[in-house]
Amino acid sequence: MFFAQLKNELWKLFGKKRTYIGFGAFLLVQTLMLLMFKFTRWESEFEKLLAGNGYLAADYISALTVALLMLMPQVLLLLPLYVALVGGDLVAKEAEDGTLRMILSRPISRFRLLLVKWLAGVVFSALLVVVLNAVALGFARLLFPWQGLFVFAPIHQIFQVFSPGAGLALYAFSSLFIVANAIAQLSVAFMFSCFNIKPAAATILSLSYLFMNMVLENIPFFSSYKNWFITHHFDSWLQVFTSPTPWAQIFQSEITLFAISATAFLIGAVVFQMRDIKS
Amino acid sequence: MISLHQVQKKFGARLAVADLTLTVPRGEVFGLLGHNGAGKSTAIGMMLGQVWPTRGTVQVCGHDVTTHRARALHKVGAIFEAPAFYDYLSGWRNLEILSHYSAPTTAARIREVVAWVGLTGREHSKVKTYSHGMRARLALAQALLPQPDLLILDEPGNGLDPEGIAEMRRTIARLHRELGLTILLSSHQLAEVEQLCTRIAVLNQGRKVFEGLVADVKAERGRVQLRTPDFAAATALLRERGVITDAVDGKFITLGEGRTIAEATQLLVGANFAVDGIWQQDQTLEDFYLSLIKPPPAETN
Repeated sequence: MFFAQLKNELWKLFGKKRTYIGFGAFLLVQTLMLLMFKFTRWESEFEKLLAGNGYLAADYISALTVALLMLMPQVLLLLPLYVALVGGDLVAKEAEDGTLRMILSRPISRFRLLLVKWLAGVVFSALLVVVLNAVALGFARLLFPWQGLFVFAPIHQIFQVFSPGAGLALYAFSSLFIVANAIAQLSVAFMFSCFNIKPAAATILSLSYLFMNMVLENIPFFSSYKNWFITHHFDSWLQVFTSPTPWAQIFQSEITLFAISATAFLIGAVVFQMRDIKS
Repeated sequence: MISLHQVQKKFGARLAVADLTLTVPRGEVFGLLGHNGAGKSTAIGMMLGQVWPTRGTVQVCGHDVTTHRARALHKVGAIFEAPAFYDYLSGWRNLEILSHYSAPTTAARIREVVAWVGLTGREHSKVKTYSHGMRARLALAQALLPQPDLLILDEPGNGLDPEGIAEMRRTIARLHRELGLTILLSSHQLAEVEQLCTRIAVLNQGRKVFEGLVADVKAERGRVQLRTPDFAAATALLRERGVITDAVDGKFITLGEGRTIAEATQLLVGANFAVDGIWQQDQTLEDFYLSLIKPPPAETN
């Protein structure tokens, strides 16, 4: 029954057109970014950067490098936006549409209902990340050669080069951490969705939480408190490209993201349990 | 089948249901009446474990809904005012989804219910293409899927045209007759309640003001209709002699305690009033309901 209920939640989720907004937006943004990389001065600037550090541009201006560069802003801004949109809808939209009342006239427990809904959201998040990463790489490959991976993220003090094989393995591995980011953001939106508010309000609140973290993390006064900000832990996926890999830091971040997801789910479940469901 | 004992529900400071005690016996069609905001939907919400009572106990099918919701609702189907569905999915998929929140349901059972409500042939169309009447049938189908013993219907005729309302009424009667279901019907359609229900309860501003058999309500003595060319003078005489206590609308009189129609007729004829007709009028449920319901206090700015 549990899997039948989960399957039904997935039917509901993927039956809605708005679920695909994120996928569509990624395709559009990636196309635009790719064209900018190809047809602006970016390529020559990048060649200079590589040459200045003693690397051959021909070896590292590649599909992998461009795909990773395209991912950076999308993982930071677009991915949270689209998972928040879906997470904010999961419960609040059903309450708004009246279907929640129909469901809760059945003998399913509220906790179980939330669990299957949240798991459906987790599946969506994972799928969105896989599609995002695969499409970024696939699109980049259309215009750039299959060469080594060059990772340049000055904010995180990352400057690394990898062979094509190692680069691809790390690129795939990093998506696991992007999935963890997406699930944490989805869980926060899901928590707000369990309150008696509109779906848009749940999405906005969860994005406000994200941006508040982002702003505070970048204020020098708070630099010693960076572990308290969710956005700091969202950087783990980039940390896998550093050498030596800071496993302890990555592990701490993943545990924190898991704790945020679990706490958000539990708060949502408690609030939902106490709520009156009215038309 | 349903038992509410001293149930109270407050939303903040507002008292939505006050000390409601109600019993719906097995096999009955029970009508729940009341004006908008009287507390009917809140009471139904409490029966379905959707609204938590502030005080009191709610039992459905012998189980406390607040503590053993799953057991209490195992054999319960419900339809709400303006039933909501996943419009972007087919009727069939909606039924599959909703049925899986109760128990595993076979395709054969879904087909059976679809046929029973008369949706065969349209079950694979998207719900957004359905008319109001078809949505009402789909709502009924989802309520019947778990093979319920009890059906809770909250304003099932709302939004339907007269033909749809009549069809819904026939269907409810059929459900009771053919499947032997216990039905709780909350409705504004007093004629519908009068035709379908064996027992009713009336809520007014969150309080129960009546519970009893529809047959008893109808058997109660109603008003007397008097047809005479000079209604005002005739009723003035009857009132002066203490035969009636009230006269309204130029045709209705209310006899005094112990007074009879024969007495009134004799008096009028004796005073040379032309009496075209005088007869006892059966009390309708509407008359009874309106006599019970006091209008809610006027809103003030």
